[in-house]
Amino acid sequence: MDVLHSLLQGFATAITPMNLMWCLLGTTLGTAIGILPGIGPALTIALLLPITAKLDPTGAFIMFAGLYYGAMYGSSTTSILLNTPGESGSIITAVEGNVMAKKGRGAAALATAAIGSFVAGTLGTIAITFLAPLFVKLALLFGPAEYFALMVLAFTTVSALLGLSLSRGITSLMLGLAIGLVGTDVLTGQPRLTFGILSLLRGIDIVVVAVGLFAVGEALYMASRPDMRAGEVMPIRGSLFMTREEWRRSWKPWLRGTALGFPFGALPAGGTEIPTFLSYFLEKRLSKKPEEFGKGAIEGVAGPEAANNAAVAGVLVPLLTLGLPTSATAAILLAAFEQYNLKPGPLLFSSSSTLVWGLIASLYIGNVMLLILNLPLAGLWVRLLAIPQPLLYGGILLFSTLGVYSLNNSTFDLILLFLVGLLGFLMRRYDFPVAPCVIGLILGRLAEAQFRRALTISQGDASVFFTHPLSLALLVIAALVFFGPLVYRWRAARLQSAKASG
Amino acid sequence: MIGFGLVVLGLILFVDSLGMQVPPTYARVGPQAFPYFIAAALAAVGAYFVWNAWAPGAKREIVAEGFDTDWRALLIIGAGLLIHLNILKPLGFVISGIFLFLCVAFAFGSRNFLRDGIVAVILVLASYLGFTHGLGLQLPPGILAGVL
Repeated sequence: MDVLHSLLQGFATAITPMNLMWCLLGTTLGTAIGILPGIGPALTIALLLPITAKLDPTGAFIMFAGLYYGAMYGSSTTSILLNTPGESGSIITAVEGNVMAKKGRGAAALATAAIGSFVAGTLGTIAITFLAPLFVKLALLFGPAEYFALMVLAFTTVSALLGLSLSRGITSLMLGLAIGLVGTDVLTGQPRLTFGILSLLRGIDIVVVAVGLFAVGEALYMASRPDMRAGEVMPIRGSLFMTREEWRRSWKPWLRGTALGFPFGALPAGGTEIPTFLSYFLEKRLSKKPEEFGKGAIEGVAGPEAANNAAVAGVLVPLLTLGLPTSATAAILLAAFEQYNLKPGPLLFSSSSTLVWGLIASLYIGNVMLLILNLPLAGLWVRLLAIPQPLLYGGILLFSTLGVYSLNNSTFDLILLFLVGLLGFLMRRYDFPVAPCVIGLILGRLAEAQFRRALTISQGDASVFFTHPLSLALLVIAALVFFGPLVYRWRAARLQSAKASG
Repeated sequence: MIGFGLVVLGLILFVDSLGMQVPPTYARVGPQAFPYFIAAALAAVGAYFVWNAWAPGAKREIVAEGFDTDWRALLIIGAGLLIHLNILKPLGFVISGIFLFLCVAFAFGSRNFLRDGIVAVILVLASYLGFTHGLGLQLPPGILAGVL
């Protein structure tokens, strides 16, 4: 009953005209950036940070959350009609959805994606409502050693699961950690990696890095690849009302997608891509007509779209209760909390309960808004895809430099932005995932602080990490994630060579 | 190439950590522990990629081929960004913003200068006015200070 009471109070916060407006703004903006290829929720929230610094935090977070959800709704539209995913969580949707659009069933694909996102988003929000308080109780058991172990686990899963290979993930993570070192050490005041440059003493702002990697790096990459510029937008054909047959084939994948997406988002396993892939293969295996997959099976759109929205809901649980970001967007949201001097974690639920429950309540409202925005208005949104790419990227870079400059009114930040953009270009060109770098940047500082705090409490005895049962368990899981695939591959290789010689 | 770069980065980090003057009270786990670890890890992945570059084709991890790179477009955007940050303060946000926008649009292959110009002027003016008057943020007015 306690939860319901808090939730009702949250609704009272969320339903004020001001907060409803923030929610509408966030969901609308989110849908737009989801549809536009090249801009994602992480970049947009990073750009909005300097602007929102003076806003009331509750309104700002309601907007950010609406934006994150909205991007997932919107990206399915791009996937289906343009065959380029608007966000990485919609890669799979492009496979079946675009084939459906080519066969003249684009409208049905859009409908099952939007309704599936609504179902998953709402169920995911219900799960947040009831799971978050439980997570808070768990989180209260955590000391510095446990937090450090948890972050180590997040580092390993993020670098192991995002991107093509473990070595690339680790490289990206380490680059992020190294960038995070730049500046003054919090505990001792020791400058690190500043090379005597005064402006670097403040450290490198996460906004600069995120915008550099996501916007400048991406723009440079797209400019260097003339072959990726063109794309053909399919017109929406068919009725937006799904037939009875299509409903029958969609509702189970929606539920299964939700069940896969939410836990994957909540675990420190890095965001929305993996559950969408899993959902696709699950639907393919369970389908009575697996031969339809690849030729426009509606299950292949319904399942993954539900999975990515549920994963977004899942991501919010560890972020709010533990302060642990599991995706690039969550890392930026964590930076937003820091901007307001709020510390996500168990204490947030008691110290800022209006904000937290207002945020959760606004997720319910936002989902309804998004369903309305995306289903009947899909035709309007598609016009966004008609923006010529030169103008789109011109605008992206204009707002990137504007946002970064307005952080501190410093041209030095623009130089940094340029350098990070070059780094982002190289990473993109050689297929290094960017998300571990952003997560490493923000989490690295926290991990180091917890590490040193734990050792200070234990008076330098490093065994604390292995004697606390929770901490030990987390570290063991981290080691398994890290070494498991290596051992597996090594054994597979040995088996093969044994077969070859025997 | 990339491997060597990473090894060098690791070395820089290592040298920087060596040079730290750590107050003796913090000697146990001072500010240099983490940098050492990251330096070692960067050097390790760097070494791995260097080694990998000599691996047989199928096992090689970093390959960038199969597509053309438009270096000219890259250079135009790069130069545009550098010029933009240098003229931002003296000439003001409006002029440097319009310049950057046109630069990027040109690099992306647009030759429709009239359309690009109109969009650039509207977009930049709207964001300038919106940011300075609407949100109260400071943007350099530059030589157009009296006009806007």
